[in-house]
Amino acid sequence: MIDNLEKLHEEVTGRLERCASEEEIEQIRIDYLGRKGGKLTALMRGLRELPADQRPRAGQELNRRRGEIEGLLETRLDDLRRNRGRPMDQGPRLDVTLPGNRVERGRVHPLTRVTDEIIDVFTGMGFEIARGPDVEDDYHNFEALNIPRDHPARDMQDTFFVSDDHVLRTHTSPVQIRIMEQRRPPLQIIAPGAVYRHDDDATHSPVFHQVEGFMVDHDISFGDLKGVLTLFLEQIFQDEVRVRFRPSFFPFTEPSAEVDIGCILCRGARDAGNCRVCRGSGWLEILGSGMIDPNVFGFVGYDAEAFSGFAFGMGVERIAMLKYGMDDIRLFFQNDIRFLRQFPP
Amino acid sequence: MKLTFNWLMELVEFPDAAGRGSFGPEELAERLTHAGLEVEAVQPLADDAGAEVVEVRGVQPHPDADRLSVCEIHDDGHPLRIVCGAPNVRAGMKTAFLRVGSVLPSGQAIERRPIRGVASEGMLCSEKELGLSDDHRGIMELPGDAPAGVSLQDYLGLNDWMVEVSVTPNRGDCLSVLGLAREIAALTGGRLRAPAIPAHLRDHPPTIPVAVEILDPDLCPRYSARLIHGLRPAPAPPWLRFRLEACGIRSINHIVDVTNYVMLETGQPLHAFDAQSIASRRIVVRTAGESSTLTTLDGSERALHPDDLLICDGDIPAALAGVMGGAGSEVTDETESVLLESAHFDPLTIRRTAKRMGMHTEASHRFERGVDPEGTRYAMDRAVALWEEMGEARVVEGFADVYPGARRPPDITLRYASVKRALGVDLAPERIRGIIESLGIELKRSSEQDLVACPPSFRFDLTREADIVEELARIHGYDNIPATLPAVRMGAGQGDALLRWMRKTRSLLVTAGLSEVVTLPFCSPDMNRTFPGLWAGEGKAVRVTNPLRQETDEMRLSLLPGLVENLHDHAERRNESSMIFELNKVFSLAGGGGFTERINVAGLIRGRRPRRGMKVESRDFTFADMKGIVEDLLEGAGCADSRWTAEDAPSVLHPGRFASVAGGDGQLGHVGEISPRVREELDLPPCFLFELDFEAIVHYARPDFRVRPIPRFPSVERDLAIVVTADFPGQTVIDWVKRLDQALIERVNIFDEYTGAPISEGKKSLAYKVFYRSPERTLTDHEVNAVHEDLTRRLCAEFDATLR
Repeated sequence: MIDNLEKLHEEVTGRLERCASEEEIEQIRIDYLGRKGGKLTALMRGLRELPADQRPRAGQELNRRRGEIEGLLETRLDDLRRNRGRPMDQGPRLDVTLPGNRVERGRVHPLTRVTDEIIDVFTGMGFEIARGPDVEDDYHNFEALNIPRDHPARDMQDTFFVSDDHVLRTHTSPVQIRIMEQRRPPLQIIAPGAVYRHDDDATHSPVFHQVEGFMVDHDISFGDLKGVLTLFLEQIFQDEVRVRFRPSFFPFTEPSAEVDIGCILCRGARDAGNCRVCRGSGWLEILGSGMIDPNVFGFVGYDAEAFSGFAFGMGVERIAMLKYGMDDIRLFFQNDIRFLRQFPP
Repeated sequence: MKLTFNWLMELVEFPDAAGRGSFGPEELAERLTHAGLEVEAVQPLADDAGAEVVEVRGVQPHPDADRLSVCEIHDDGHPLRIVCGAPNVRAGMKTAFLRVGSVLPSGQAIERRPIRGVASEGMLCSEKELGLSDDHRGIMELPGDAPAGVSLQDYLGLNDWMVEVSVTPNRGDCLSVLGLAREIAALTGGRLRAPAIPAHLRDHPPTIPVAVEILDPDLCPRYSARLIHGLRPAPAPPWLRFRLEACGIRSINHIVDVTNYVMLETGQPLHAFDAQSIASRRIVVRTAGESSTLTTLDGSERALHPDDLLICDGDIPAALAGVMGGAGSEVTDETESVLLESAHFDPLTIRRTAKRMGMHTEASHRFERGVDPEGTRYAMDRAVALWEEMGEARVVEGFADVYPGARRPPDITLRYASVKRALGVDLAPERIRGIIESLGIELKRSSEQDLVACPPSFRFDLTREADIVEELARIHGYDNIPATLPAVRMGAGQGDALLRWMRKTRSLLVTAGLSEVVTLPFCSPDMNRTFPGLWAGEGKAVRVTNPLRQETDEMRLSLLPGLVENLHDHAERRNESSMIFELNKVFSLAGGGGFTERINVAGLIRGRRPRRGMKVESRDFTFADMKGIVEDLLEGAGCADSRWTAEDAPSVLHPGRFASVAGGDGQLGHVGEISPRVREELDLPPCFLFELDFEAIVHYARPDFRVRPIPRFPSVERDLAIVVTADFPGQTVIDWVKRLDQALIERVNIFDEYTGAPISEGKKSLAYKVFYRSPERTLTDHEVNAVHEDLTRRLCAEFDATLR
């Protein structure tokens, strides 16, 4: 019997070495220690047939062996559990390079993506969101923004008319007026929306999108305008972006500044000569901005001696085109699924 | 505005003597751009092909060719023989010569080779061959005094650059070379060097044999004129001609060219009348009033508006003031004397006339933006001086100068504190005063706190303190103002509910597989008729009075036209499916002349439901797929109690395959298959559509809810299949059960619909699952069976249904 026990022990050790799963270990337990057909169990039952004087020693030996085998099983089980995931222990290998089963998802339009990014940067800085009508009256679109009738500044924006005194807004700036008519400073507000210009080519769409923004309080300065817009551009273009402010003219701001960023393609390299993005200038116009003109404050009944503020406006398409390296604005409105699908969901 | 680099540099005296050489066109562009005068282009005027000025010494006919001549020229004393085919070649003329080894702009190399047997040692060139103009009538005709042997490029002043500056509408004073030179001077600390006027022109008494009467002094504050005899049209000297053409102005003759040249130089538009044609010798400036037409220089007969300002020869209209001259008083080949006008007109009047006539001229562009009223005499005298330099012009002693509208520029008080407040930077008072004076602004007085400044007559844009502050920022340099971050006052309510719902809706639809599109809101009247929007007929379409395309002159009433139009493209590309949506505005006319804008959300699905993976089922879309997407959307918005009915059929949807959905106490929109009629009309594949009033959804949305306790006792389910007429709405049963308010019935679901054998024709079977639950105990089968049997009986009776 002792020999038998030795053999059993070897058998178990051998099978344990070859086994690869918990199920197999369980099978070994059943085969040797199982209550019904276990080989060791059978030997234990055979104790009764031994002469009485041999029983205690054999019993002890059997129990010892049983303990040993249980220990072996436990150890192997532990091993297996610890090493789960080791390929050699897993059975037949799956081809994991085959595609997974997925539900096809749609895409958010790139203009929405970019608008949302812009909004998130500004709301993070404490700006609120406002909206205004696309069909705007002459007063809010022009007059109250210091663009009187018969002023050459009106030529800066080719206008769609829907009646004698209503236009499709040419910019989101009228939202400034509408908000200031209703509220008092401090104000820090952005207003995203569609704007309309009588224009249609590879770089102009008759409809495009702007995000307007303005901030009014006591003692808001041109330095603040520079700080806020620089921070914004650093956030939206992430990379370390060069920013430059240069004088310009908008009827509703003074001083006015055109804001340029360093060309994101050629990065202003001297040999960039004919860079297709910045045409060799090294700079890209990205924002119009300025200190709100005292006349505009006059239209909304603010005291220009007590309050000052800045305003800015940016083209969403322009920013999106730069971010995604596009050169035809019309792609945004053709909605070709091969274009839309390029943006991750 | 276009000008040339050399021209500009001639008018500035730099602080250091060597200044000019170290200031290239690129730096000029940089400086101007940084001062708010954006330079859009800098281009060399011409590539130097290496041509020289030569004199043709002799011309012989070619022995072997009728049309060719053999010419002799002198090259540094050595005679050269050139074969030339130009009809205008003649002995004694000065022309352009390219020697052997040179290359024409076309790429053709000049070689020493025999032409019909005669060796030619170079080429005499036309302007076209040298790339200078399109003139190919013959070889270049240079003036007799052109010095032989010098570089043609130098002689013509072509070693220069065209500089194009984008001048903003507030800076009319910079629409001239002098104006820009003033800016350069202010920016560099240099001095303006305006061309001097000869003394004999300066000191004349203001009288000439022409009377000037201004009937509307508000519209014409000043009118100056001179009379010049002996001025017959001739070609302008090459340097002037090429300068003008570099600036985009076609050369005509030296009379017209000088008026244009002086306008570019000074910003003051000039007009030369043929003096003989002003028969009455009386210039009258008045509004058109009764006068009906005037034929302008360009040959068009123009209908006049009573408010148009005219320059008249006595009673007869002779020019449209500030816009264009009249054909009747034009300078012609017969002209011998000229009446030169240099006047100042009201910007608004000129702008209105120019707009009405659709004419945008160099003159009107400048008058609209404001011309220096003090500059009329200088410009006029500068033109006369140039004519005198060019030939036999004899100016008639004296001039006319009627100036009823002299205007005093305003005194502006600038407080130093305002500078700090507006710019956020402390500028020292000396720096402030320095900038002000460099701009030609008169400093009247200054104190510890402020100063009083009076802008020059050409700076109409400076009237307020803020205008002066802007000038300080501009000249000091935006780069030199440090960026700061303002303190923000915190407050609640920065969130934006509409934006939140829009984002959520987009995210739900994208997850459902739909891609967002953004379409243009312009729509044809036909499409608006076909897709009249959600509450059809409620509003009329908004019409664009000046549409980009006449066919699409309305604003959309619905988002669906944009979606189906897109489908056209998709179908062409044979995609297996289309799944798109748009969340955007629709427009209509409101009562009382107002306009209504609403945000809608609309979607379209077509084809097969796409699945990615290897063994994933893909099947055709059904109505239920579209409805499911809308249900997801409404559930996401918290519209828990939406109601679906087959009422209020919209014309665009299939009458038997659509649903209207309502929520709260109002309609939300429609879902369904496109109507066969619309499909046929627009040649579309079958598809499913929805359009909902997004603002209504947001209005009914219930963003807040409370958690219910998780049931402690299990539910018991019982199925129930009934046979009803085929048009019976399955939801009716659910609503009815709800109204029963049976305490043990938790909810009812529909889980199957079946038609076909053994169900008889015109009937269908509906299968419901009823969930029973008590909050207090585990229900027994016995208990549930009793309730279920009662329910089944009452249900069959109520709906005339049989149990299946």
